[in-house]
Amino acid sequence: MEELKVLVVDDEDDFRETFLKRLQKRNLDVSGAESGEKALELLDEKPFDVVILDVKMPGMDGVETLREMKRKRPLMEVIMLTAHASVESGIEGMKLGAFDYIMKPADIDELMDKMRQAYEKKSIHEEKIRQAKIKELRK
Amino acid sequence: MVGLTGFIKNFFKRADKLGLQESPEALRSMFKARYWSFKALLDDNNKVLQIMSDMEHALRESLGFGMAFIRANCTAISVNVYKIIQNMNEIAPNRYNALYDVFAEIEKRLNEILEKRKEFGGGKWALPLEAVNKEMADQVGSKMANLGEIMNRVNLPVPEGFVITASAYELFIEHNNLQEEINRQIQTVDLEDLEMLHEVSANIQQIIIQSPLPDELEEAILSAYRRLEEKTEKGINVSSRSSALGEDAENASFAGQYRSVLNVNQEFLAHTYKEILASKYSPQAMTYRLNMGFRDEDIAMSVGCMAMVEAVSSGVMYSRDPGNIRNNVVLVNAVWGLAKSVVDGTVSPDLFVISKESPGQILKKEIHRKDQKFVCFPEEGVCRMTLVGDEKDDPAIKDDEALFLAGLAARLEDHYGRPQDIEWSIGKDGVVRILQSRPLRQLDTESKTVKEVADLKVEQPVILEGGVTASRGVACGPAFLVDTTVDALQFPSGAVLVTKHSLPQWAAILRRAVAVIADRGGVAGHLATVSREFNIPALFDTLEATRKIENGTIITVDADGQKVYAGQVESLLKEARAEKASLMKGSPVYNTLEKVLEHIVPLNLTDPDGNNFRPKWCRTYHDITRFCHERAVKEMFSFGKDHHFLERSSKQLVCEVPMQWWIIDLEDGFKESVEGDTVKLENIASIPMLALWEGVTTIPWEGPPPVDKKGFFSIMLQSTMDPSLEPTGKCRYADKNYFMISRHFCNLTSRFGYHFSTVEAFLGENPKTNYVSFNFKGGGADYTRRVGRLKFIEHILKKFDFRVEINEDCIMARLEGYDQNFLVERLKVLGYLSIHTRQLDMIMGNNATRNYYINKMLNDIDSFVSV
Repeated sequence: MEELKVLVVDDEDDFRETFLKRLQKRNLDVSGAESGEKALELLDEKPFDVVILDVKMPGMDGVETLREMKRKRPLMEVIMLTAHASVESGIEGMKLGAFDYIMKPADIDELMDKMRQAYEKKSIHEEKIRQAKIKELRK
Repeated sequence: MVGLTGFIKNFFKRADKLGLQESPEALRSMFKARYWSFKALLDDNNKVLQIMSDMEHALRESLGFGMAFIRANCTAISVNVYKIIQNMNEIAPNRYNALYDVFAEIEKRLNEILEKRKEFGGGKWALPLEAVNKEMADQVGSKMANLGEIMNRVNLPVPEGFVITASAYELFIEHNNLQEEINRQIQTVDLEDLEMLHEVSANIQQIIIQSPLPDELEEAILSAYRRLEEKTEKGINVSSRSSALGEDAENASFAGQYRSVLNVNQEFLAHTYKEILASKYSPQAMTYRLNMGFRDEDIAMSVGCMAMVEAVSSGVMYSRDPGNIRNNVVLVNAVWGLAKSVVDGTVSPDLFVISKESPGQILKKEIHRKDQKFVCFPEEGVCRMTLVGDEKDDPAIKDDEALFLAGLAARLEDHYGRPQDIEWSIGKDGVVRILQSRPLRQLDTESKTVKEVADLKVEQPVILEGGVTASRGVACGPAFLVDTTVDALQFPSGAVLVTKHSLPQWAAILRRAVAVIADRGGVAGHLATVSREFNIPALFDTLEATRKIENGTIITVDADGQKVYAGQVESLLKEARAEKASLMKGSPVYNTLEKVLEHIVPLNLTDPDGNNFRPKWCRTYHDITRFCHERAVKEMFSFGKDHHFLERSSKQLVCEVPMQWWIIDLEDGFKESVEGDTVKLENIASIPMLALWEGVTTIPWEGPPPVDKKGFFSIMLQSTMDPSLEPTGKCRYADKNYFMISRHFCNLTSRFGYHFSTVEAFLGENPKTNYVSFNFKGGGADYTRRVGRLKFIEHILKKFDFRVEINEDCIMARLEGYDQNFLVERLKVLGYLSIHTRQLDMIMGNNATRNYYINKMLNDIDSFVSV
């Protein structure tokens, strides 16, 4: 998974920085953003495979950010992270195209598994689209 | 009519849809995508089952769980079920959209249960005590509602005052948007971890104290205070007492869980108010709610502010003997100064026992040494004063005062129609005032009497004797001395709490303690009350426990006999051993979990061939999960066939077993790719399939067992009622078995006549993700015989470590988290059983044959399985 590019969006500096460090140690290409707005800016600069997104942030909240992200990069997978679980917000996130919705405190290895899965899904979808394009060309 | 061109057009359209024109690469990538979804679905399926079992376990064991646990699990399970539906619609594009509707229905019901809020009486933010009575507990909490009742309807003296209501609390919380932040803090901690508990408690309390009061609320409090000044004197100090809503629950006292602050200067009125609100999140209050099953959001804090009266003496009295309801006496506990030292357990109070039958008679008088008292500072606050001279050994009240108090207790009991637990004080003006009255909690009278236990002969040496029984019972464990909060943080589970003062904050560690011993304190203290609720033996007022008991030694506490022994006294423990009462059962949180599980766990879709095996009949998350799992397997199977894609079409296994075995390779289940439509066993690379196959083939099946007449008759009868049970081979899938495999995965779906079973296994390198599951459902014979067969299978499976659940005539067994080798052996067992239990129900009527077969099978299994 060395090539996996991850963006971590969370307004809690401590959490984000520790998390970034731990992901770096696991050989991921990681970036961090402290707000939804900042995250969307980063998206324009660099492609990401997977985003870890905190649901509750001041300013643009997680759900809004998710909506924008999926509009900009439909194939990029977003894993929502929350410390305040609610069935309603969880399902709302899923309907907007989140890959998964995980409760804090999250086990880092479980999150690694999730990211791997999300990345697989993204690659498979890209391949499907490539095949569809080939088919289109053949016509 | 559709013409020939129309037909051709339609044909190609259909062909296109079925993928006839897809290139092999495209088909491969389509299959790969579906296989990915299938794997994800299995993963989520396992997760859903795991969460369900966690939730059921918590309910069954009545573990201390809170709303955060329920919310987190409901959210996780909802998200996973939703993902299952998404993946189902990826595997079979948009064919299962109907599932979203049933899901939405279940989700809606869960939300209704989870987000239901208790309604608090609306209206005013502050109320004068004259305007309060006992019907207003939903605005001012039961403590203040009762005080208003006593002032206005029983007409006994109560200090003047006002109440800041529950509406004010809600306004404050909403104004600062605190609830979400509080829930967030709570979710991220393990409340069983004391250190974390203290940390999160401190965080939350700080957030509350730092949040500003809304202007209109501050205004309301001040104007209520001005009115109090008018009625009493200018600049009067108040005692601010918590009066939480929800405290009136039948079996919960909330004794001492929340703060009360005495002698507050008007300058700090608002600050103290917030401190008391914050005390809703003190460590002991959070633990208490967790253990008693109270929902955080159901508790609103109202605060009573009453004119502070400097007391000469005060105390707590019971209008009945809490130890024996038939004992018609009043118990009066009294100390010098403020009552704080009684409830705090810092002083052992004097005790007066007064007869109610012949008024005026003091039956018993115990005067203790009271070496300190609490008094008011002139400006603000209270202080502990050491008593010297004769005062400390003098009775805190005179006999006639005791008798007068007993009269008040009887009046209050009369008014409320039930025994009362009353806090009182006598001011410098000589007036007796009531400070609180609440229903008296009886001690458990079911357990053995003191005498019965005390009569037992004990050989172990007594290391401590005397004191008062604050909570009955006998327990044994290592002594652990607690003096400071730091000690409390290290308190090990299962130890005996030994402490100087029976302080209310030790309630936070009571759940870990097996017993409590304190130098000081009486039955009326908060810690005593909570010990009784938690059913933990407590022996107080022992004077020298902390000196005589050595830290770390094993001791046995006999609270009834008021003795502490060195070592473990089995004879006492045996006598006194009683079931620990479940504190959670019937509580609001417990009921919430029970209610949400009704929409999650029950399985209605047990029969994949049944008419109701459809999305619209799914009533629970379990139904949806089961339905999708079943259909996903089917859809994966038909991919190759539907798309005429040989690589992913089923191949028949070349073998000697007289049944048809079909195999689909999902990924890397074959050693080399297979041309044509058969495959040889040598070419199978799937670890779990090979294990199953060994179980199927090692011991050949002898054919159906000889049927007794009754058994045969039973099958005949069933067949005439349900033609699908016809054992003659008219069944839809007549003895076909389907394997779906990859190197680490295998799913086997079998139908033997009217028996239907699936085995599924993932055996990878990481034990954490490994599992084996087995479902079996069988027709034939009558219900009793079918159940008999399930019990038979259960018996064998349990011997091999499976977790087994029987649901009507369907059996489900699972194993997870073991290494490959362990699971390989278990798969062999399943392979054996899937062949050899066929038609066993016919012989289930007969016990002797049943035992014969159990033994035979266990012997068979033993011969080739190594466990």
